[in-house]
Amino acid sequence: MTDRPSILVPIRVLEGESVPEGVPELLAHAHVVMLGYHVIPEQTAPGQAQMQFEDRATERLDEYETMFEAAGATVERRLVFTHDGQKTIDRMTAEHDCMAVLVPNATGAVEDVLVAVRGAVGIDRLARVVAGLFGETDASVTLYHIAEDEETDEDVGTLLEGMVNRLKDQGVDASRIETRIDRDREALDAITETADTFDTVVMGETDPSLATFVFGMPADQVADRFLGPVFVVQRDPTPNEDEE
Amino acid sequence: MAEQPVDVEPGGQNVAGEAPVEEPEAVTDDTTVHDDDVELERTIGLVGGLAIGIGTMIGAGIFVFPGLAAANAGLAATLSFAIGGLIALLVALPTSELATAMPRSGGGYYFISRGMGTAYGAIVGLGLWLGLMFASAFYLVGLGHYASAVFAELGVALPFSPVIGIGLLFGAALTALSIGGTENTAKIQNVVVGVLLVVLTGFLSYGVLDAVGVFGGGTVPEQFFSRGYFPVLTTAALVFTSYLGFAQVATVAGEIKQPGRNLPLAMVGSVLIVTVFYVVTIFVATSAFGADRLGQFGETAMVEVARDFLGLPGAVAILGAGLLATFSSANASILSASRAVYALSRDALLPRKASEVNLRYGTPHVALVAAGGPILVLVATGQVELLAEVASFLHLIMYGLMCVALIVLRRRNPEWYSPSYQVPGYPVVPAIGALASFGLIAFMQPASIGIGIVVMLASYLWYRYYAGDVTLKGDI
Repeated sequence: MTDRPSILVPIRVLEGESVPEGVPELLAHAHVVMLGYHVIPEQTAPGQAQMQFEDRATERLDEYETMFEAAGATVERRLVFTHDGQKTIDRMTAEHDCMAVLVPNATGAVEDVLVAVRGAVGIDRLARVVAGLFGETDASVTLYHIAEDEETDEDVGTLLEGMVNRLKDQGVDASRIETRIDRDREALDAITETADTFDTVVMGETDPSLATFVFGMPADQVADRFLGPVFVVQRDPTPNEDEE
Repeated sequence: MAEQPVDVEPGGQNVAGEAPVEEPEAVTDDTTVHDDDVELERTIGLVGGLAIGIGTMIGAGIFVFPGLAAANAGLAATLSFAIGGLIALLVALPTSELATAMPRSGGGYYFISRGMGTAYGAIVGLGLWLGLMFASAFYLVGLGHYASAVFAELGVALPFSPVIGIGLLFGAALTALSIGGTENTAKIQNVVVGVLLVVLTGFLSYGVLDAVGVFGGGTVPEQFFSRGYFPVLTTAALVFTSYLGFAQVATVAGEIKQPGRNLPLAMVGSVLIVTVFYVVTIFVATSAFGADRLGQFGETAMVEVARDFLGLPGAVAILGAGLLATFSSANASILSASRAVYALSRDALLPRKASEVNLRYGTPHVALVAAGGPILVLVATGQVELLAEVASFLHLIMYGLMCVALIVLRRRNPEWYSPSYQVPGYPVVPAIGALASFGLIAFMQPASIGIGIVVMLASYLWYRYYAGDVTLKGDI
């Protein structure tokens, strides 16, 4: 049981967001950190919203908790009233040591998983999430890499092979692993397009840059366009823990 | 992350059968934790806290009072502002200690109700709510004066004085915006405060250089105490409204990140910053014109000062800054008043309905209307000095009692009282803070004192009638 990856599942619990179809099954092998949160405007004190909405939110979270547990997951939950949803999600991820955050979208039975492998950085965590979630299922795992100009085929081969080996070590049957490489494509478009034929996407978190500041995090953009569930694997928090 | 336990248990019921909401289990740097894994996120950082404090205060002291204060006390009005700042600092230090021990919404009301019991809490809490309305109304009338000055500048001659009409218009608009608007007002507030500080720093630097004769202008030397000594204190009482903002930081103490560090820094920092700005402003203004002429310009005297130094562009800049500053002060006060209503209703001193959140906008519409409605009535009176003094009176009562509450808590030293920031110079600083707060009231106009006392009596009677059985005092 210790191998269950912790996955944060944020749900805007009072705005009609619920646990979409297929998500409990998708997380059957995970340790689910269920975050019910409610974003309130600055004119309102968080305690004020709590006074009025806590009972209703708790009722719904009870329901969702049962759904996750029935599917086989272990569940931990929090209900947070906040002015800043992103801060709450980031804090929860750090406090509960979550390997990945799920953008919860509906899905059917999961047969094909697309894993976007960006580079060697963070590959350990990526492998642990994929192996933990899908190691004991029959789903096929496709490792997808978009090569840049200066990357040789050899580089790419080494990278993906490393990932395959890690997955095998953690109990993923090698026959279920495929690899796929594309060149000369804009990463975001490529992932979104390729994802169409898959049931779910696992990808890494990118470093915040000006582009992500303007257009939002790539993972969110993928989630918006793909419309299926996306796991965003978080960077290892230890090196830059003391920001601010 | 240090967890601070909260161990105060309120009890009892009000007339409507509502009991105070249970206290949270613990307070961390990022949240307030309730049982069943329910958390309230803290989202306001140091900059946000400073912006609340400075944004609330700076509108009045610089843009409304210079003319009025100079008319009352002459050049010695500079000293009046310094005295106000000193008293504010003497209160801000104890308030910081209380706030780090109890970083919860409601500020001064919360500290006093937990430290000294429900009766004092009710008087202060209801007084704070009403005091903030008087303050908002005062800022709005100031805003009206600036807007009228804009008309005058444009050469639009109106057959009537538009001051009160504009104040009412903006009061209604602000209330409506607070209810229906969900945009990021805190970020706007931060920007507004930043812009104001930049404009003022530039303007005042020029003014100081000019006053000491760098630009050859030179000034007429004037007798410092041209009106005598007594007006210095009455003026200090009048302009104290310019120092009400730091306690508004404590009103949102429940939402401040790392409260142990940020609360004291935001409160003491904002008092120090505005004190410097006020003293320099009055010095510059009085040396430009002399107290007599400055007094004749009334509420918008600063516009004439700017015109004298920098011509039309200066006057336009200060007009714009004055509009921004009075608007942001009024806005911050209305929001604080709504927080005060929430704190009272949470503790069953007001009906629970009063802090109800609107389902469509997620805003506390009842509390905002409860603040905005009476403000309009107060604006309609148009009495700048009276509004300012009553606001100061009600706040000074709270300030004095906060100092007393700190002394009470330190002496009883209950287990749950463990502030991470401790006031320096205990017990002298809080004792002087309390005496100075109560003492300043004596220098107000009789009418202001009368209205203040009526409000306090009414608050006490409301408590006896509505929530006589509610106990809020911490176990001490």
